[in-house]
Amino acid sequence: MKIRVYGSGLTAWVAAVCLAKVGNDVIMQEIPCSSQKPLKQISAIRDEPDLLTQIEQQLSEGRLTRDTTQRADSTDIHWLALQPTELELAQSIVDNLAQEKPSSLLIVNQCNFGVGATDELQSRLNLDNNQAVVYIPDSLQAGTALQEFTHPNRIILGTDSEWARAMSKALVRPFSQNLEHLQLMSSREAEFTKFAVTGMLAIRLGYINELANLADELGVDIDVIRDGMGADPRIGSHYLFPGCGFGGQNFHDYIAKFSDIFQKKGNSSLLKTVIEENEIQKELLFKKLWQYYQSDLTGKTVTMWGASFKPGTASIDNAPSLKIIDALIAQGVQVNIHDPEALSNLKEHYGNEPLIAYLEDPYQAAKNSDALLLVTEWPQYWSPDYLQLIANMHTPLIIDGRNIFDKEALDMYGFTYMGVGR
Amino acid sequence: MSVNTSDAWNSLVDHAKALKDRHLKDLFTADSNRFERFSFTANNYLLDLSKQRITKETVDKLVALAHQQKLGDWIEQLFNGDIVNYSEQRPALHTALRQPLHSEGTSPALALTVDDQDIVANVHASLAKMESLVNQIHKAQWRGYDGSPIKNVVNIGVGGSDLGPLTACRALSQYAPQQARDLNVHFVSSMDGSQLASLLDSLDPTSTLFIISSKSFSTIDTLANANTAREWLINGSGIPVDRINHHHFIAATASPEKALEWGIPERNQLLFWDWAGGRYSLWSVIGLPIALHIGMDNFRAMLKGAHEMDTHFRETPFEQNLPVLLGLIGVWNINFLNIHAHAVLPYDGRLKHLPAYLEQLEMESNGKNVNRSGNKISYNTCPILWGEVGPNAQHAFYQLLHQGTESVMCDFIAPVQRYQGEGEELQNQHQLALVNCLAQSRLLALGDSVLEDADSAPAHKRYLGNQPSTTLMFDSLTPETFGALIALYEQKVFVQSVIWEINPFDQWGVELGKQVATSLLGSFATADDYTSNSSLDNSTNGLLEYIQRQQGGAKE
Repeated sequence: MKIRVYGSGLTAWVAAVCLAKVGNDVIMQEIPCSSQKPLKQISAIRDEPDLLTQIEQQLSEGRLTRDTTQRADSTDIHWLALQPTELELAQSIVDNLAQEKPSSLLIVNQCNFGVGATDELQSRLNLDNNQAVVYIPDSLQAGTALQEFTHPNRIILGTDSEWARAMSKALVRPFSQNLEHLQLMSSREAEFTKFAVTGMLAIRLGYINELANLADELGVDIDVIRDGMGADPRIGSHYLFPGCGFGGQNFHDYIAKFSDIFQKKGNSSLLKTVIEENEIQKELLFKKLWQYYQSDLTGKTVTMWGASFKPGTASIDNAPSLKIIDALIAQGVQVNIHDPEALSNLKEHYGNEPLIAYLEDPYQAAKNSDALLLVTEWPQYWSPDYLQLIANMHTPLIIDGRNIFDKEALDMYGFTYMGVGR
Repeated sequence: MSVNTSDAWNSLVDHAKALKDRHLKDLFTADSNRFERFSFTANNYLLDLSKQRITKETVDKLVALAHQQKLGDWIEQLFNGDIVNYSEQRPALHTALRQPLHSEGTSPALALTVDDQDIVANVHASLAKMESLVNQIHKAQWRGYDGSPIKNVVNIGVGGSDLGPLTACRALSQYAPQQARDLNVHFVSSMDGSQLASLLDSLDPTSTLFIISSKSFSTIDTLANANTAREWLINGSGIPVDRINHHHFIAATASPEKALEWGIPERNQLLFWDWAGGRYSLWSVIGLPIALHIGMDNFRAMLKGAHEMDTHFRETPFEQNLPVLLGLIGVWNINFLNIHAHAVLPYDGRLKHLPAYLEQLEMESNGKNVNRSGNKISYNTCPILWGEVGPNAQHAFYQLLHQGTESVMCDFIAPVQRYQGEGEELQNQHQLALVNCLAQSRLLALGDSVLEDADSAPAHKRYLGNQPSTTLMFDSLTPETFGALIALYEQKVFVQSVIWEINPFDQWGVELGKQVATSLLGSFATADDYTSNSSLDNSTNGLLEYIQRQQGGAKE
């Protein structure tokens, strides 16, 4: 099939390359169309493992092309993967397509525009002539985005058109090997489902973080509590890892949008609270450090391990590390940072901030340090060389934002350890 | 020679006699151009004096009085930092607090030194330190004892350390910038702790910062509240007092040693100077709550508006000079028409606290009965001044204005524009307030002569009119126009003090009460059974005994 993908973010590039890989002719219509950057300069591509290689491969094999001309063509399917703020752009794209292709026009909406947006786009088309929009929610998780697209265990197709349903089933067929659920529903229901799922996950994370903070106060180990909770089949153990806050652009955009919808309809403030509390949680490691040093960080040096918003991505969008670094440099603290992928994004974000040092070696980053803050649980941090670490540090204090270290072992080595809720 | 035996004064006495029987309605009948003749504009302000009981001759004679009293020289002395506050032997340089660092336009740069200090440079250094604290708090990087950012700021101060910032914050809330929207600014002043006690119930110690705002850092009202606040923080946190002092208190003061002694480190001190009187200090670091609430840019805009009014005051001929005319009209009403009550009536709820602010500014400045030579004076000075948001006052004390037996002069104050770009109904509400403002001043001036068949009404429905008023209007309420409004009244007060030959910058009348209170505090401490103190009057003894008895009874 001939598919044109509109967008500039991770969702758009992942869709384009995955659709090309299974044999479609894909044209990548970048937004804004005027500035076609070299691929390596596009942060969405750079930050996601393997994405650049795969795009380059599809480009060289000719199944994927980058187009900026916006010329009318014989494309069958138009795939919208725009930013949440680009609804007007989506509307104008749909209006143009309605003119150009009077019949057999399938538009896939994969944007976070809110509940009812797909209906609104559909209203600009003639359903009787098979001009139809289908909503396919993205299941994007930075770090594993390609895997999630090509091997989903569930797909939702939201449309009110029989023709579009048949067309889109064919479109997603190549990605159906692992599929446990293919769910067909109206576009409104599909949009709502996407929000409801994201909101539920956020609430679980918010809840376990709140429990962990309480466990801190009460002197209880949250790991034990978590095991106890997870064993209950009604609850399960997924999305129950406490930590120093969740980040990422896509997740945040969906929760924020859903929270907005709630606010506008005058209902629950649950998600709003989750978002606010998460922002506070991002400063947790700073607060623990501040309290440990009795509210005075003058002359201190702090090591940060991990800065991306989660392992497996170079992205620092909404990352807890940013809030911690901001707080530390506001107190005049020297911050030595190691991250396997995110350093160049951090440099771009902080420019020439003199209080920040970016280090390629995690143990170098720990030299003369008064505390090690573990912010992102990259695999290489899980079992460090404790002897080298303690030899390098000025004060052997570890504040573990992801509860990855064994606190008894650290105790034996002579570290002071603080986790989240333990 | 005292002013009230001078030629210019006597000439006004004669003039007043001649004018005494002329009702305002007659003055309007006689001159159809009163508005054109008696309204003046400057700096976005309109000052309408046409509803005052004056003629062209009155203004001429008042201006002559001002010249006779050498007002021009006094203005220069004020601005130049001369010792105008003779009883405390210091200048009154609140104008320097709002002077730009570099002079603009054609006016020459003012070099001001007091005790060999470059005043303007010091002022701007102090503002810069304030700005850095404001930025730190706005960026959520001022941290409480547990590392939380600050969400609530409580200003503890009284008098000038309370009313100025409170009035400005309530007037200019809409200008709060994005980064200040989540920061709540509270004001606590009362000695008895009632404001503080109820406020603390709703605050979290981890994210609350107190500003201890006291020029002398010895004001008992403020220190009593500050001690209560600190006790609350210590009890709520279990943290030693030093850490609490470092992370939860800022001092705005002219007494750094005393602030340090109380426990506030130099880093957390914002300083101003002896030569800025408390009731003239909102332009200094005492304005910290304002800067926190509306941002430093808007705070500087407020200073700019005030400075522009200063420049107008200093450079404009008296006949067109708004603060001079406003001050002289007051003198006319008080000393020549024998009016001793003055109502301040803003027709804009944002200016709710302006009457209280002006009560202090005017009555603490000019409520004096001794002249600069130390002699008792035999003419009236500051009248009793009070006020309320106009539309609300219409349902309270306007009855007295319209049909009481007292002559009262009124200041009607209102912005022309409000709610631009907001809902139509809100804009209608502003129009409603404006027409009420005009209706009231019209009725006060003209009485029921505005009606056709007023004579036929029974006596209790008659309105005699002839109550004089000033209408002060400005384009819209902004940091600039607010700054100008306050400066206008400050300079008006100064003008009157020059005519009356008094010192507006001291306040000895509030001192003795503090001492007497301190000595009475001992009466409670001594014994359970009150034994009457022969050095006290019978009434005070009786009241002390009553309190002691009732409190003792309550304990049992």
